[in-house]
Amino acid sequence: MWAALAVTSLTASMALADGSQSIAATRTIGYVTTDLHWAFYQTADVDKDCPQGLAGYGPRETFKALYPNGGPVANTQLARESLKFFPNDKQMQFPYIFAKGNIGVGVNLDGKVGPNDYVSPTGEKGIDNALQKVLGCNAQFRQPEGQLQLFGNKFVRTSTWNRTLIEISNVDDLSNSDDVAVTIYRGRDPVLLDATGEGVAPGGTQRIDMRWGKPIIQHLKGKIVDGVLITEPIKEGIYPWAIYNDVPTLLNWRDMRLKLTLTPERADGLIAGYMDVESYYTWLTAWSTHHLSYGRLDPAEFYWTLRKMADAYPNEKGEMTAISSALTVNLVQAFITHPEADAMEGGRKVTDARH
Amino acid sequence: MRLIAGVTGILLALGMGSAAAAESSVREAYVDVPMPPGFKVVSTELEGPVFADSRGRTLYKWPIVSLRNGYAGDPKDKSACEDVVTTKTGGYMSPYPGGLGLPDLDSRKSCVALWPPVVAQADAKPVGDWSIIKRSDGTLQWAYGHQPLYTSHLDQSPGDVLGGTGLFRRGGDTPAERIPVGPPSALPPGFRIEGTLNGRMLVNDKRYSIYVSDADAPDKSNCTTEACLQRWLPVLAPETAQPRGEWSIVQRSLGVRQWAFRKQPLYTYMRDTRAMSYDGGDEPGWHNVYAQPGPAYPKSFTVQNTTYGDVLAERNGKTVYFYTCGDDSADQLSCDTLDSPQQYRMAICGGGDWARCHELWHFVPAAADEISQGSVWSIISVDPKTDRQAAEGQAGAVRVWAFRGRPIYTYSGDEQPGEFRGHSMGEWQGRRNGFRAFWLRVI
Repeated sequence: MWAALAVTSLTASMALADGSQSIAATRTIGYVTTDLHWAFYQTADVDKDCPQGLAGYGPRETFKALYPNGGPVANTQLARESLKFFPNDKQMQFPYIFAKGNIGVGVNLDGKVGPNDYVSPTGEKGIDNALQKVLGCNAQFRQPEGQLQLFGNKFVRTSTWNRTLIEISNVDDLSNSDDVAVTIYRGRDPVLLDATGEGVAPGGTQRIDMRWGKPIIQHLKGKIVDGVLITEPIKEGIYPWAIYNDVPTLLNWRDMRLKLTLTPERADGLIAGYMDVESYYTWLTAWSTHHLSYGRLDPAEFYWTLRKMADAYPNEKGEMTAISSALTVNLVQAFITHPEADAMEGGRKVTDARH
Repeated sequence: MRLIAGVTGILLALGMGSAAAAESSVREAYVDVPMPPGFKVVSTELEGPVFADSRGRTLYKWPIVSLRNGYAGDPKDKSACEDVVTTKTGGYMSPYPGGLGLPDLDSRKSCVALWPPVVAQADAKPVGDWSIIKRSDGTLQWAYGHQPLYTSHLDQSPGDVLGGTGLFRRGGDTPAERIPVGPPSALPPGFRIEGTLNGRMLVNDKRYSIYVSDADAPDKSNCTTEACLQRWLPVLAPETAQPRGEWSIVQRSLGVRQWAFRKQPLYTYMRDTRAMSYDGGDEPGWHNVYAQPGPAYPKSFTVQNTTYGDVLAERNGKTVYFYTCGDDSADQLSCDTLDSPQQYRMAICGGGDWARCHELWHFVPAAADEISQGSVWSIISVDPKTDRQAAEGQAGAVRVWAFRGRPIYTYSGDEQPGEFRGHSMGEWQGRRNGFRAFWLRVI
């Protein structure tokens, strides 16, 4: 069966390489997530991006400032650790450095052009990405060496929790389709590594996780225009992204939408929306205080900044609970097998584009 | 269960052991290694066979490990556990500096008080892998495999392994744990045993799961069709392999020999993509293999399907958590028991606020008709005003479930069965000082 499957995959890959003709058979194509990074515009010149410098008060620095003479562990180390989980217990105490500049990566989420919005690198106005202001000058988030961007992304390929699939159906062709359905699933299989052992090759197979992954399944509607998939926002969306072993964390979005450039082999672009502040904080603090020290990110200080910069979904007190943001996402084509196909012995039904 | 374990341990210690006795009580068989007089092997629920002293107290080692900022534990043939009360942190766990004052110094015990060295008499002689080291105070201490041996003040009865476990150890994030020491498992080359909450799991030397099929007969494989063999790979025995104890050999065809354990032919699963997988057991009629089953959790408990896998839950479906803690001293003493400093737990469960901790994290009450199921899952009495262990029947005390003698918890942030919002809450994702869910299987 495996030999047969390999041949099927190869045949399908060859068909896909011919262009979108192969889509005609099933009008469907699947992709598996390979990379996730927070979408923060940066140049090679850190002084230009961050004229006040990079973040300066991380856990080590705040600890040293607060407890220059040490003290009992309960009043020092444990006090700081408890603030990580109860950040409301103490107000901000240290200066925070925000990213400057007017160029930003993301999507115009509200359809407006406001004073705090960015202009995209291609000149689009009204880009909403307040998270860039909060974290754009944290070394941990600057590419390519920023620790969270680097290691958090490594887990995308290695963790089953992060095996997020996107299936696009009702596709006329990959250049233009007026009305497509997009479904997000969790896959159960390792990604197909290429000959280097580092990259992910198209043509792998992914079984859908229907046992534990049902809550991950989400449906979006969209269209493909000039090779770019643009979905309508869904009111509440989730995208799994565990950034540490055995700490399964989710990103909870409001108005989540996808904007992906499609080819038969890849899909690259953005996931954008308003990130629930509490969800984002929980996600980030899945990293230990030690790890957060890499970027001088003090969790309690960061929490207050996140709340301060939140720009959507006010609560009953008028406090904003979500922050505009975007993730760059990269995916490669994968054959997504559905549960009924999994049960078939021998030749398997693959609902992706093939032959 | 505890009595059976004790009896089994005695039988094994008397040399009646290994395969036959272990099989009759479904206990893990072990190699009958030479031991000094006064020591024996006790079969335990969670850790399998362990060495014990003449009073049945489990023996532990404290191997040196690399933490984030240095090493802690015993190097080869040397004990780092001294009879001195440590007063300051060691700064082993970044980003915090050492030299911070440890809590409850008026009642803090020394390493030796909590982990008494296993004393060797002056006329003791090394035997096999057992050797004798001289401590810094001149006394003699038994060692096994060059690791000094200790007992735990927490172990009260034969078969107790409450002092430490390697079950949850992970790199330099967890404390330098004391680990029970036992004889090698009785396994042919190419196999090993891995401890899990579900039992002592049989795996191959690459840690991939071993499976058996209901369709096979004793010492006969019925997985012979192409369809079966495309999914299941018989674990082949070399030409020179001989049957021994619980291990036998099935002749698949001329010159093709397959290992069998307890008369069941063994396989690996072609679709397994990672070590210690349970995926093959999802195929009807196929099962993972355990040298012995894990300790039965309380009958009122449930298993819940979550987005991350299967988790243990209490009767109402709320995820249950254990709290684990090791301090940052050179001794790496446990701070997760009810007789240890509570400041660590309070910092995580309530931000130092006792009332908030109790509001957010709840003990798991035992019903009046529930009884302890052994030393791993037991019912203890806790004084809710102090969170200290109380005498059974003490006025105001509550009966709660405990795992390895430590209370377990539910988290008020979990509103529905299958939620696990409390998982990994704490220092170092809860591995150093915090809460972890009881995962029986993860995706």
